[in-house]
Amino acid sequence: MMNNDEKLKLFLETTGIQGFQHAAEGLSGMLGEQIMSSRPATRMVPLVEIPNVLGGPEREAVGIYLQSEGDLVAQFVLVLPFEKACELVDLVIGEPVGSTKTLGSMERSALGEVGNITTGYFLNRVATIMHWDARPSPPAVIVDMVGAILNVVTATVAGISDEVLMLQGTFVRAGREVEVMFWIIPDANSLEMFRGTGS
Amino acid sequence: MADQALPVGLGEIKISSSPGDVLVAYGLGSCVGVGVFDPVSKVAGLLHAVLPQSLNGTEQVPGKFVTTGIPKLLEEMEKAGAMRSRLHVRIAGGANMLSAPGAKQAFNIGERNVQQTRIVLDGLRLRLLAEDVGGTVGRTVRLYVTDGRMTVKALGNQEKALA
Repeated sequence: MMNNDEKLKLFLETTGIQGFQHAAEGLSGMLGEQIMSSRPATRMVPLVEIPNVLGGPEREAVGIYLQSEGDLVAQFVLVLPFEKACELVDLVIGEPVGSTKTLGSMERSALGEVGNITTGYFLNRVATIMHWDARPSPPAVIVDMVGAILNVVTATVAGISDEVLMLQGTFVRAGREVEVMFWIIPDANSLEMFRGTGS
Repeated sequence: MADQALPVGLGEIKISSSPGDVLVAYGLGSCVGVGVFDPVSKVAGLLHAVLPQSLNGTEQVPGKFVTTGIPKLLEEMEKAGAMRSRLHVRIAGGANMLSAPGAKQAFNIGERNVQQTRIVLDGLRLRLLAEDVGGTVGRTVRLYVTDGRMTVKALGNQEKALA
């Protein structure tokens, strides 16, 4: 028999898969290219391991960060290596891949839009399944070291727990990994609501 | 002898007296790094604290919080032969990573980490020798055990010493 936490994970995963697929559809529409989502996984990640993604805490990366409020309170982070973020900008603004070399305010706002679309579509699907109403905050685009970007997440969770429950998925562009990690970290109260509905 | 980097992860405290060791906290954002060095016993220690203080008062990982991490760091230093009155204390980090326009940030954890660090150091009568705190960029902090030098490096910048 499954315990409560296993049930919660399974339920989050089921909801998450649909949310991710929907997010990928939104992204495809925005980019005018087919974007697939990998099957997302729900994982308990030790806090100390969080900065070790994408080549380690000192690697240059881009984070697109949003929060949702309403019935679902969660943090959403899209993290990708710097050069992949430049490629993503090229796709969004319709330039040949390799055109974007730096991320100025126009490029950052294009990346912010990717965050809006992805998170908005995700929330939309969750809202349909759960009959919840949730809205995303404006996106913050951070260009820095992986550790410093993810410090935004680790700092909010560290006071409560040594582990984080997150939904983690990757977007894939026809034959080519876009290598965008999409993390969703529900807050403790929202997890309780999922638990109540899922069991 | 090549330098041996010893990573100091989130909530960790590392102490070394081996020349050639470098204590490194990579990519600090709002976290704060507290580096101490005793120039006589040549013992160095680095704390990588995440938050100012524990919410419920009890904490199994003292290094996670400034209020419990600094006393623990001193305790470990003294165990390794350092003397409190001789310590060179430097701090770095405490940035506000969500400074982008439109970003929602009810409270600035980086700033609170730095404030709390100053309060704790004051309470322990430890003088702060140098600092590189605040701002909006991440930092990698290195403490060289050989000579007690502490350096800070931001993305795209040179490593600079905290005098």
